[in-house]
Amino acid sequence: MIPKTKSLVLSLGLAAVLASCGYPSSSKEQDHGIANGKMESMLHPRSDSPVHTIVMPHDEPLFPPGPGRDEFVTACVVCHSPRYITMQPRFSRATWLSEVEKMKDVYGAHISDEQAQRITDYLVSINGKASTGQAPKGTYGE
Amino acid sequence: MNRRGFLQFMGATSVVALTASCNRSSFVMGTLPGPTDFARFPEKTEMILLTDRPPQLETPIHYFRQDLTPNEAFFVRWHLEGIPTSVDLRTFRLNVSGHVRQPLQLSVDELRSKFDPISIIAVNQCSGNSRSFFEPRVPGGQWKHGAVGNARWTGVSLKSILDRAQVKAGAVDVSFNGLDAPPLPSMADFVKALSIDHARDGDVMIAYAMNDQPLPMVNGFPLRLVVPGWYGTYWVKALSDITVLPQVFSNFWTDKAYRIPTAPNGTESPKELAKDTIPINRFNVRSIFVRPDTDKMLHSGAPIEVEGVAFDSGYGIRRVEVSTDGGAAWVDARLDPEIGKYSWRRWRLLWTPRRRGQYRLMARATNAVGDTQSKEQWNRSGFMWNVIQQVDVKVG
Repeated sequence: MIPKTKSLVLSLGLAAVLASCGYPSSSKEQDHGIANGKMESMLHPRSDSPVHTIVMPHDEPLFPPGPGRDEFVTACVVCHSPRYITMQPRFSRATWLSEVEKMKDVYGAHISDEQAQRITDYLVSINGKASTGQAPKGTYGE
Repeated sequence: MNRRGFLQFMGATSVVALTASCNRSSFVMGTLPGPTDFARFPEKTEMILLTDRPPQLETPIHYFRQDLTPNEAFFVRWHLEGIPTSVDLRTFRLNVSGHVRQPLQLSVDELRSKFDPISIIAVNQCSGNSRSFFEPRVPGGQWKHGAVGNARWTGVSLKSILDRAQVKAGAVDVSFNGLDAPPLPSMADFVKALSIDHARDGDVMIAYAMNDQPLPMVNGFPLRLVVPGWYGTYWVKALSDITVLPQVFSNFWTDKAYRIPTAPNGTESPKELAKDTIPINRFNVRSIFVRPDTDKMLHSGAPIEVEGVAFDSGYGIRRVEVSTDGGAAWVDARLDPEIGKYSWRRWRLLWTPRRRGQYRLMARATNAVGDTQSKEQWNRSGFMWNVIQQVDVKVG
């Protein structure tokens, strides 16, 4: 499990990972900015400083093992959170495949047709449903 | 876990497990998130989490009991992973270029000091607000009704900036780019455009303040395009580049994305998709319930105020009818005074349920030109939802 997830971590960047841990989760911590001296400017962005900076939290789900998971982690998670999958309702294989093809053909994800099938296998295994004939295809600009 | 323990733990286990451990809603390794997660992002309050990278955050409905949606609760929607997280106001410039005689590079201070400020109260709504209610379901951000908000936007009218830049004759479109960037070079940068006439209508503006405060970073700090009455896709965040064009603007985000069928309310049949599509544009008419709480039991004989907000693209809401019996009988709700033509308008109805049981509440808004809400609606992208809302409540 750990080796498989390693590439995900590296792609996120260790610094970002640590920053997310340092990001205070309770309002009390926020008020006092105790987590890290450097947090001060982020927590009080309306100070006189001309530089306004925030640190994005990372709160990404880790997905269960399954066939195609490696391809999914490598090709999909590099550009977006896996929550793009889990927020969707259960879709048929046809719909998931059209989403993967959209990422490949329209957004330029670096995946082969074979990898697209493997990724689709994985998406169907974690958030799929039996095909019901009518499968709304994905579109753009959600 | 304190910091020391945290570091020891880090040495002992994988960093991956750690990220989970420090998350607000910590996930057990290898489990999927539940249907509704909440998260707190920088400068934001706790919001409904759709996605975290890039962030898409939905406003809990109770915030709509205030006329102006608090900045910290205002919905967030980005397209590309590379969102700006740091802006240096000493070096940031709004660039105005293209088909103009006098290109401009304006600092935020110059926008504040060298132009007359204007303020407009306006609804901003995501094209896909309420997408999760379409049947059959469609892929995309699975918003409920909270990808919308109403704020007082203060800044400079786009017209005055274009006038200062001296637009040349023959201008057709004006494009808008922000500081966000695609994660892959193969991906189209998020750029949107308006016609030159729309851009110069005096209402389209560049906001440096939202509810009298600087915008939160994830809502578009330091500048955001405000296109009153139009869907949020045009409200380019972290606006940095305005380009006047002598031809129609064309890119993925206008040619392929954010398009709707030409039928009213963007409706088409899942069995026979519309052949012709146009770019999404003005809001249709809709209403959203904000009271009562559907998870609370009401009491027979006890009067309650049913309340909601209704809006359109700027003609003005003239009537909201409410049914408490699933659509058989309708009564007019009271409308609060208008607070701006692009603002939403609050409506209220005092209602005393007389018997115990289940009630289906419905609300239907109509605007000044007679447009009203859909009875049924579907399109492939899940855009422009405005079906008459139904809310089921229990009376005990």
